[in-house]
Amino acid sequence: MVARPALRRAIPSSRTLLHAESRILRSSFSTTLQSQQKPNNNNNSVPEYAIPDPARPTHFGFETVTEAEKRERVAGVFTSVAESYDRMNDLMSFGWHRVWKDHFVASLNPGFSPLTSSSDPRAPQHILDIAGGTGDIAFRMLHTAHILNGNPDVRVTISDINPAMLSVGKQRSASLPASQQAALSFLEANAEDLTQTKPLGANQVGYSPTTGVPDESVDLYTVAFGIRNFSNIPAALREAYRVLKPGGVFACLEFSKADKHPLFNTIYKQWSFSAIPLIGQLVAGDRDSYQYLVESIERFPSQEDFRDMIVDAGFVVGGQGYEDLTGGVAAIHKGMKPRRK
Amino acid sequence: MMRPSSISLRRPARQILFSSVSTIRAAAPVPTTATHRSLSTSTSTGSGCPCANGSRRPQVKQTQELQQQQQQRQQRQHRNAYHSYDHPSSSAAFTPVEESILSAAYQHVPSHGFTPSALAAGARDAGYLDISPTILPEGAFALIRYHLVKQREELAPRVSELFGGEGHVGARPGLSEWEIRGRVEAVTWERLSANAQVIGRWQEALAIMAQPSYVPPSLKELALLSDEILFLAGDSSVDPSWYTKRASLSTIYAAAELFMTNDHSPEFMDTRAFLNRRLREVNEVGGVFRNLREWVGFTATAGVNVLRSKGVRI
Ligand SMILES: C[S@@+](CC[C@H](N)C(=O)[O-])C[C@H]1O[C@@H](n2cnc3c(N)ncnc32)[C@H](O)[C@@H]1O
Repeated sequence: MVARPALRRAIPSSRTLLHAESRILRSSFSTTLQSQQKPNNNNNSVPEYAIPDPARPTHFGFETVTEAEKRERVAGVFTSVAESYDRMNDLMSFGWHRVWKDHFVASLNPGFSPLTSSSDPRAPQHILDIAGGTGDIAFRMLHTAHILNGNPDVRVTISDINPAMLSVGKQRSASLPASQQAALSFLEANAEDLTQTKPLGANQVGYSPTTGVPDESVDLYTVAFGIRNFSNIPAALREAYRVLKPGGVFACLEFSKADKHPLFNTIYKQWSFSAIPLIGQLVAGDRDSYQYLVESIERFPSQEDFRDMIVDAGFVVGGQGYEDLTGGVAAIHKGMKPRRK
Repeated sequence: MMRPSSISLRRPARQILFSSVSTIRAAAPVPTTATHRSLSTSTSTGSGCPCANGSRRPQVKQTQELQQQQQQRQQRQHRNAYHSYDHPSSSAAFTPVEESILSAAYQHVPSHGFTPSALAAGARDAGYLDISPTILPEGAFALIRYHLVKQREELAPRVSELFGGEGHVGARPGLSEWEIRGRVEAVTWERLSANAQVIGRWQEALAIMAQPSYVPPSLKELALLSDEILFLAGDSSVDPSWYTKRASLSTIYAAAELFMTNDHSPEFMDTRAFLNRRLREVNEVGGVFRNLREWVGFTATAGVNVLRSKGVRI
């Protein structure tokens, strides 16, 4: 709630679709801020754009703000929607987000190990769910690993920058079986700098607050509907690379571009730009946060551009590097940290 | 009638075809009427068209012949280019990381099948994690595709051994229809034999291939295989029968492959007999390797023209 006055000031609340579209055109320059930098193949030298800089311009919806300001405003958005969060997801995805999340987790098959081989010497498998907020992904991971794959040797850490979102997740986790609760931990951290972490509550099987997330400690890094909110995506990708073990997988589920299907895309855009903020106003009394969410989806790079950013951070991809869901309304991107030479 | 060219730009091994056709009796019965032509001594065949065997071959360079040769070379280059584009090497089919996971996982197929389990076991062997294979977009189907691509690529060296050396595979002028038919049988059998090592797992694999999203890539591999078999057998006709032959061979191959999964006879003798019967039937009914070309000729030519107009390289 804290940041809402600031939001209101920044985003005029009577915005029409037309208005929004003219803003797309005007801000097309800043779309390229992060995605069209020169590729960098040398992972030792982090490119300048991947180093978080509170003063550097980035976008907040269709506005250009500094990285620090964006962080603050995003915090405002999620603090204000934390409780109505599920409703928001249903609105923005026509209810599809549950199906997408199921598919996302199933495609990663956490806890799976080859049938006859002895247990993995590198166990336990560690999953870090970034921007994990409400635990939607983490709970599915635990279910798949512990129950479907019968592998209790899998731990999940839910990490989010926003303690309000984390505490929603924490509350929800109370209904999980005890064994799954024991394998779960919560961590307050900014995805762009995982060296600074703050544990949430006493139930800590994960990381200590002082060391942050260590290098090469994670098997699977997931981020669902989170990355478009980050102030500096290249920085987050490099942190993902750092914390993953060689062979570890980066997996991202995010709203994407349905522009391969023009008619569908038009309808979807109409819906998201005109209806969602309005419904947000009606059901949650919070038009601005929903307006931001719609705009942030529009601003997120295309499937191909985002794939290139992942490769740029040092990951290797299989096939084209992404999978479209529901015609590209959402997409799954995966990358693997290569083995050391 | 256009004679098949004897040179291929695709693999250096096929570039020079000097030596004579060795007998393929061992591989398939060849009727006695089919005499063995020695390519090193005959420069032309029945139709009188010069059969250029590559630039190293001494030729009587009469103007007319030269022109014809040039024409032929153009056609040949066109066709070879087509052939090579249509056969992506595995380096194009799989990225290096995919290759390293899949090649390690392939070793586990006999015991684990074409499954995520084999993928994970392979990933461990290759120094990756259990989670690593989840970056493969096709999952276990990637392992099946790996088998299909690898075995297709392995076919050329194996067949060249079978036919008695590098010079004996690929397009060759002077092979009779009978000889070509025998060679088609031999090459097809060679490819089927490569399924022996995974035969206990092949029904599962076929079931995965039959899933809607994997049907197109599976059919594409089948088409590439038929093309490869006909190419290696020495059939390089560029005429309307091109499609008919590939379609018939694809059908027969798929049937034989399925038959083989239930074949418990020693060395899959029954499958080989089945394959022979099917190939013979085709020849009896419509004579796919000669006669079909006539009755499908008109339709196919029309079809080819339509495809060409759509920009398909034929
Ligand atoms: C739309 S929610 C996604 C929640 C959950 N993963 C899901 O799929 O339902 C986006 C989350 O990203 C978090 N977030 C935004 N910026 C972040 C940052 N820089 N680092 C970590 N989390 C961030 C927000 O606090 C919010 O909880």
